[in-house]
Amino acid sequence: MANVTFPFPYPQHLELMLPEIIIAIMAMVLLIWDLFLGKDKKGWIAYAAIATCVATAFATIQVTTGGALTTFYGYFVLDPFASFSKLLMLLATVFAVILSLDYMKDEENVGEYYCLILFALLGMMLMVSANNFVTMYLGLELMALSVYVLVGYQRDVLRSSEAALKYFILGALSSGMLLYGITFLYGVTASFGFDAIGAGLVNANNSAHGVVMLGMVFVLAGLVFKVSIAPFHMWTPDTYEGAPTPVTAFISVAPKVAGFVVFMRVLHDALPAVQADYTMILVVLAALTIVVGNVAAIAQRNIKRMLAYSTIGHVGFVLMGLIAANEAGYAGSLVYLTVYLFMNMGVFAIIVLMRRDGIQGELLDDFAGLSKVRPGYALAMGLLLFSLAGIPFLAGFWAKYVVFMAAIETGHLYLALLAIVFSVVGCFYYLRVIKYMYFDDVRIEFNFIESIPMKMTVVVTALAVTAIGLYPDPVMAICKQALVGLI
Amino acid sequence: MGETITTLNTLELLAIPALPLIAALAAGLFGWALKETLTHWITCLAVIAAAALSIDIFVQVLDGASFYGNFWTWMLSDGFIVPIGMMIDPLTAIMMITVTIVSACVHIYTIGYMHGDPGYSRFFSYISAFTFSMLVLVMGNNFFTLFFGWEAVGLFSYLLIGFWFKREPANYAALKAFIVNRVGDFGFLIGVLATWYYFGTVDYHQVFAAVSSFVLEGHTLNFLGWEMDAITFICLALFIGAMGKSGQVPLHVWLPDSMEGPTPISALIHAATMVTAGVFMVARLSPMFEFSETALAAVTLVGALTAWMCATIGLVQNDIKRVIAYSTCSQLGYMFVACGVSAYSAGIFHLMTHAYFKSLLFLAAGSVIHAVLAEQDIRKMGQLRKYMPITYVTMLIAALALSGIPPFAGFWSKDLIIEAAMVRDMGWVSDVAYYALLSGVVMTAFYTFRMFFLTFHNTDRVPAETKAHVHESPKVITVPLMILAIGAFGSGMWGVYALDITNPEVINGFFGNALFVMDAHNPLMELEHEPHHAFYLSMPFWMAIGGIGLAFVFYFKESAMPAKLASTFSGVHAFLLNKWYWDELYEKIFLRPAQCLGTFFWQKADLAIIDKGMIHGGIVDSVLAGAAKLRRMQTGMVYHYAYGMVIGVFGLLTWLMLKA
Repeated sequence: MANVTFPFPYPQHLELMLPEIIIAIMAMVLLIWDLFLGKDKKGWIAYAAIATCVATAFATIQVTTGGALTTFYGYFVLDPFASFSKLLMLLATVFAVILSLDYMKDEENVGEYYCLILFALLGMMLMVSANNFVTMYLGLELMALSVYVLVGYQRDVLRSSEAALKYFILGALSSGMLLYGITFLYGVTASFGFDAIGAGLVNANNSAHGVVMLGMVFVLAGLVFKVSIAPFHMWTPDTYEGAPTPVTAFISVAPKVAGFVVFMRVLHDALPAVQADYTMILVVLAALTIVVGNVAAIAQRNIKRMLAYSTIGHVGFVLMGLIAANEAGYAGSLVYLTVYLFMNMGVFAIIVLMRRDGIQGELLDDFAGLSKVRPGYALAMGLLLFSLAGIPFLAGFWAKYVVFMAAIETGHLYLALLAIVFSVVGCFYYLRVIKYMYFDDVRIEFNFIESIPMKMTVVVTALAVTAIGLYPDPVMAICKQALVGLI
Repeated sequence: MGETITTLNTLELLAIPALPLIAALAAGLFGWALKETLTHWITCLAVIAAAALSIDIFVQVLDGASFYGNFWTWMLSDGFIVPIGMMIDPLTAIMMITVTIVSACVHIYTIGYMHGDPGYSRFFSYISAFTFSMLVLVMGNNFFTLFFGWEAVGLFSYLLIGFWFKREPANYAALKAFIVNRVGDFGFLIGVLATWYYFGTVDYHQVFAAVSSFVLEGHTLNFLGWEMDAITFICLALFIGAMGKSGQVPLHVWLPDSMEGPTPISALIHAATMVTAGVFMVARLSPMFEFSETALAAVTLVGALTAWMCATIGLVQNDIKRVIAYSTCSQLGYMFVACGVSAYSAGIFHLMTHAYFKSLLFLAAGSVIHAVLAEQDIRKMGQLRKYMPITYVTMLIAALALSGIPPFAGFWSKDLIIEAAMVRDMGWVSDVAYYALLSGVVMTAFYTFRMFFLTFHNTDRVPAETKAHVHESPKVITVPLMILAIGAFGSGMWGVYALDITNPEVINGFFGNALFVMDAHNPLMELEHEPHHAFYLSMPFWMAIGGIGLAFVFYFKESAMPAKLASTFSGVHAFLLNKWYWDELYEKIFLRPAQCLGTFFWQKADLAIIDKGMIHGGIVDSVLAGAAKLRRMQTGMVYHYAYGMVIGVFGLLTWLMLKA
C-alpha cells in the first residue's frame, strides 16, 4: 500500500484516502447501476452498499497506522482518531441500510436513496479527517445536503417534506454562522488549518480578543447545531419525526459522531488559547441541553419525537467529555458515542419492525402489550431502554459513568450533579415504554416486518449493550487508544 | 496474593460447584421447555456427579493432598482485593461430602415428593443453586467467598421457605427467616469488614498467619463505650452471623417457622447443611476464635442455652416437623458448645453425623406427611408402622442416632462433645454448658421418642378418610431414606474408627492443621490421655436411656400421664408450648415500635411531604409543567426555531462581552 507511486504530480500518499475513494466511486457506480435494475431488484443496491461499507472498513483498518499522516497537500489527515470514528460511522451506515431494506422497499427510486446514504457517509468521513476548516466545511456540506434529501425522501408524505425543508433552512443558517465565524478566525490568524489557528491565537494580539470571541461563538454555534445542542436543537424533533425512520436512525447517530469528532478537533487543536472562554460557554450549553432534552421528552407521545429529545439529552452528556477536555474526557465521549450507536440503532430497529401496513408503529401506545405478542422484541427493547436510561450493568451506565467522572475530576462537579439528577428524570420516559410493553394490554394488532437482517440487528445491538455493560474494559481501552492523533 | 499450592486437579475442583450451578441454570431458565423427567435427570445427575467428585477429592485429601489458590480476581479497588479461590483441606473435604451426599439424596427424594407440583423445575433449580452456594461457602479461601456463599444460601433458603408462595404462612415464614438472618448477617459483614480493616486482606492464610502477632500487638477498640480487644470484637461480630444462620438464641425464631417450606428443604437446608454453616465458620476461623477467651465463652454459653432451651420447647410440640426443627436448634447448640470449648473436631464430627440422621429424620417425616395427606400433627397419627415399614425402620435408626444410643452415629459425636465440655475448664461457663448439655440429652431422647411413638405406635388416631390413602412411599422416596440410614447408623463409627476424626494431634489427626487449637486448652488432648471407658460408663448414655424409658412409660404404659402432667404444671406447659414467648417478646419490643416508626414515615414523610409536598405542587409538577412549556415552545414554525438560534448566539456574545 504505502509504496504506490503515481506517474504524474498527484498528491503524495493518496492511498490514505482509500476508504473515501472507495465510497465515492461505489456511490457513483451504484447510481448508474440503479438505472439498469428492474424495480423489483433495487434491493441489490442496498446489499452492494453494505458490501461497500464492509470493504471500506477493511480498507480503513489497512491504511491506519499508529500515528497521524496527512495527504492532499496536508489538507487531509489520517490518524487512529479519524479511523475509529470512520468505523463507527460505517457501522451506523450498515445498520441504517439494513433498517431501510423493508421500510423503503415501496418507495420510488430507492436506488438513489442508498447512494445518498453513501454520499452522506463520504461527507462525514471527510469531516472527521479534516484538519482545517476548508476540508471540514466541504465534508459537512456534502453530508448535510445528502441528509436533507434523505429526510424528505418520502415526497408524498407531507411531514417528511416539511421536516426536510425545516432542516434545510436551519442548516443553511447554521452553515452561515459557521462560515462567518471561520472568517473571523481567519482574519486573526490568516490560516484555515486547525493547528495553525491554534498557534496563531496563542500569539494573537490582545486587541484582537473581541474578534476572536466573535469567531469562536459563531463557529461553536455552527458546530453545535449539527449535534443538536440547545438552543440550536429545535430542528431535531420535527426532523426526527418527519424523516423516514431508518433515516432518523441514521441521522441520530452518524452525523453526531462526525459532528463531535470535528468538534473535538476544533476545540483541542484550534481553540486551546481560549479554553477558559469556550468551557464557560459549553458548560452553560451542556446544562441547558441536558435539562431541555430530558424534560421535554416527558411530554412526548410519539416515540420518534421522544427519542429526538432523548438524543438531545445524550449529546448533553457527551458534551461533558469535551468540557473535561482531557484524555479521560475525550475517551469518555467516544465511549458514549460508541455505546449510543448500539442503543439507538437497536431501538430504531424495533420501531421499524413495528411498522404496520402503511402506518408506522411509532406512538408510545403502540408498544402496549408488546411483551405478550413478541416477548423477544420486548426483552431486547427493554435492555436497550434500560441501557439508555443508564441502569447498571448495561453499556449506557458505563457511558455515563466515564463522562461524569471526567467532568467531576476536572472540577465540574455541579454540572455532573445536574446531569445525574436529570438522568434520573430521563429514566421516567424510558421506563414508561417498558411499562407499556410489560404491564399494559395489547391495543392494536401488528403485522411485524419479518426480516432476518432486521432481527439480527436487534439481537446484535441488544447483545452489544449487555456485553459492553458486563465487560466494558475493551471498549474503554480502544477508545483511549483512538485518541492518538487528537492528543 | 497467595501462592497456589496444589496436589489436586483444579478442573475437578471447579467442576464440583460448577455442575450444580449449570444444572440450576438449565432447570431455572429452560425448565418451562423441559419435561419433569428431563429436569430432574439433569439436576440429579449433576449433584450426584458433584457428590462422586467430592468423594474422590475426600479420598485424595485423606492421602494428604490439599489445594490452596486463587482462580481470578472478582474485585480490585484501591488495594482492596477480592479474589475468588479455593482452599481444600480435611475440614473442607468432610463438609463437601456431607453437603453433596445429603443434597443428592434430597434431590432424588424430591422427585417423588414434589411430583406434579406446578413449580417442579423451579424447585429443582433452587435446590441445585443452593447446593452450589453451599459448596462455594465451604470451598472458598477467603472471607468474601465465605460471605458470598453465606448470603447466597440465605437467599435460596428464603426462596424455598416461601416456595409455596400462595400460602400466606409460607410467605411470612420466608420473610421472618430473611429478616432475622439480616440481623445476623449484619454482624457477620461487620466482622468481615473489621477483619479486612485490621488485617488488610481477606485471604484465610494471610489472616491466620497474622493473628498471633496481631494479638501480641494488643489492638483494642472502643465499641459503644466498651473497651475490647479487636480480635474479640471481630470474633463476636462474626459469631452474631453464625447465630443468625444457625438458629441460636436469640436469633433462633426463624428456624422452626421455616418448616413452612417443603420437607426436602427442611432436610437439606434447615437441618443438614445451611444451618450448620455457622458451626463450619467458627471451626474454619478457629485460628481467630482461639485467641479470644471472651468469644469462646460467648460461643459456649449461647450454644448451651440454645441446646437446653430448644430441647425444652421440643418436649411439648405437636407438629412433627416442629419437634425436629427444635431438635435441630438444640443439636446446633451442641455443636457450638463443642467449638466454644475448643473441641472443634468434635463439633464438625457432630455436624456430619447430625447431617445424616437429621436429614433422614426429616425425610422420613416427609414420607409420613405424604402418606397422611399433608397432616403434620402427631396427635392425628399413630400405628403407622403397619403401613410404612421402611419409613418406620429408617426413622427408628434416625431417632436412636439422635438420642445418642450406641452404636448409632449420634452417640459417638455427642458423647465426645459432652466429655469435652466436662474436661475443659472455663470456670462457671463450662460447668453451665456441661449440665445444660447433659440434661439436654434426656430431653432429646424423650421428645424424639415421644414423636416416634405417637407417630408409629400408640393408638391409631388417623382420621378414617385419610386411612384409605395411607401407604408406603414409592422407591424414589424410600431409597434416599435407606442411603441416609446407612449414614445415620454408621457415620459415627466410621468417623471414630476409620478416620480417627477425634484424634487431636496435628501430625496424625484427621484434621491436621485445618483446625487450630491452643495447647493451653485442648479438651480432646486431655481426653486422649485419659483411659477410654466403655459406653455403659458414660453418663450421656444413661441419660438417653432414661429419656427413652420415660417416653416409653408415657406413651405405652401410662397414657394418662402426659395430660395429667400438663394440667398440673399448666403454667410451665403453656410456657413451653408457646416457645418461651420469644415471638411475643419480639413483637412487643421490635415489631410494634418498627411498625409505629414505619407508619410515621409513611404518613408524615411519604404521604405528607413527598406525595403532597413534592409530587403535587413540587418537583414532579414543575417538571411536567416545564415539559409542557417546552413542548409549546416547539411551535413547528421554522422562524421561531431560527429566532431561537439567533437569540442563542447573541445571548452568548452578550454574556462574553459583559464578562470582558
